[in-house]
Amino acid sequence: MAVPSPDGGMNRAAWRDPTVQGELAAWTSRLNAVGIGITRTELEQRVWDLAVGYVDVRTAVLTPFQPYYRYCGTWQSWKMFIAPHRYPSRLHIDVYERGAWAPLYVARSAEHDWHRRQLDHDRMRASIFRYAWRHYRRHYAKFGRWVAIHVARERPDAEQVRLRFYKYRTATPVEVRSHTEPEGEWTNELLLDLAHYRCPEGECPGAPKAGR
Amino acid sequence: MWGRWVGFCTRTEPGVSLAVFRIGVGLCVMITVGWVMGADLVGVIWVDQASGGIGTVGSGRIVSALGGPTLPVMNGLSWAAVLAGGCLAMGLGGRVMAFVALQLLMATVDINGDAGGSYDELLENAVWLCVLGPTTTTLSLDCRLRTGQWTSEEGVGVWARYLVVFQLVLMYASTGYQKVSSYWVPGGDFSALYYILQQPSWHRFDMSWVAYVFPITQIATAISWFWEVLAPFWLLAFFWSETPDRPGVARELANRWRVREVFAVIGLVFHASLLVLLDVGPFSLVSLAFYAGLVHPWEWPGRGATRI
Repeated sequence: MAVPSPDGGMNRAAWRDPTVQGELAAWTSRLNAVGIGITRTELEQRVWDLAVGYVDVRTAVLTPFQPYYRYCGTWQSWKMFIAPHRYPSRLHIDVYERGAWAPLYVARSAEHDWHRRQLDHDRMRASIFRYAWRHYRRHYAKFGRWVAIHVARERPDAEQVRLRFYKYRTATPVEVRSHTEPEGEWTNELLLDLAHYRCPEGECPGAPKAGR
Repeated sequence: MWGRWVGFCTRTEPGVSLAVFRIGVGLCVMITVGWVMGADLVGVIWVDQASGGIGTVGSGRIVSALGGPTLPVMNGLSWAAVLAGGCLAMGLGGRVMAFVALQLLMATVDINGDAGGSYDELLENAVWLCVLGPTTTTLSLDCRLRTGQWTSEEGVGVWARYLVVFQLVLMYASTGYQKVSSYWVPGGDFSALYYILQQPSWHRFDMSWVAYVFPITQIATAISWFWEVLAPFWLLAFFWSETPDRPGVARELANRWRVREVFAVIGLVFHASLLVLLDVGPFSLVSLAFYAGLVHPWEWPGRGATRI
């Protein structure tokens, strides 16, 4: 069970993330340097095929033991910081009221700290980290609805709430020392009309699904 | 070979190390669930949408039996888990209480796969070890009720403590073998820790200042990687330190060079750094509970230097 497994990363769309592509590029360069001629695309396909086969075999071998893991809490998945995320995302929540957008919450900001006690908790950090990946978009939409319900309840004048991630390449040590900040881009924007979320207590779950 | 295996399985020792492990695990159960309650997060991450939560919850046998992940159900389970963790720490109820604590812990922290991490699995494995091993023979209410004393020299199977150490080493080694990123492995620039510290998801405060001490992060990256990948030698060093009277050059050298202690000190520095710099939940606290298993019963303060 503790034998390394790529199962959590078996999402081909997620492999298009620049962090993953950067890893593949680095390994392609290394293999080329030792005389193995392979392109990044070929390496990606070979690694994918190998991983699919490996996960299939591993799953088949472990299937008989699943009840033991499930009932005794003995899962052994230790994929902890196996690679640094070179293109991390920072959550921004903005509110539109009185004709202007204003920041409500910015991850790790001491100034924009709406519901910080909850959103900065390690379990919400883990959730928000996942919401930045496209294959978690349905969960992200649910989170957006939760945010909209609370903003609507707490700020009567607010008209819209916007959630988005600022995705950027982390600066190298040299760039930090020279005060050069790499450009980033806004991704995964959710725009929610709060009129749909002003509702009596307990009725908001019927509000329309968040658009993208 | 079989005789040696039987001998190992029947060998006993005082249960103080296991008891300290159990106390740490019980406290970690309380802290893990209590932190969620203290941050008013039960009604956000552990309940369904109809109850006001984000709604990314699954379910489980206990939660389903109680009517689903509603706020009253999840609040009740959370309080019960904290209470069970307290009983486990105090050593009340032996293995049955450990099993109850495990099921309550799983009913809460496992209900939302988004809002958790490997620390939940590590803690669940730790509680399961408290089910398997006799952890309440000393330093426990069970001991007090049974003998009238808080402590006891009653022997427990040494295998139980080996399981604790094995689990710890397994975790480190497994994660080490999965660190195949070009930022981690030898041949690269060992910049993994520098970049991990820059990730806003986990850092406690702005960490751009580490760019000015980049070489230190490179050394730390290399040490972390080798420490994790070589963790199986820690188990071996533990075994050698537990059986110092047996022959063997490797055993003698490992004990003289204090290999077990060197691995442990690196681990302590690693977890202390994690606690200060990154917010990865109770991971370090749960890991440190396992370290009690590394201490031989005769090494605890006040127990003298003699082996029993």
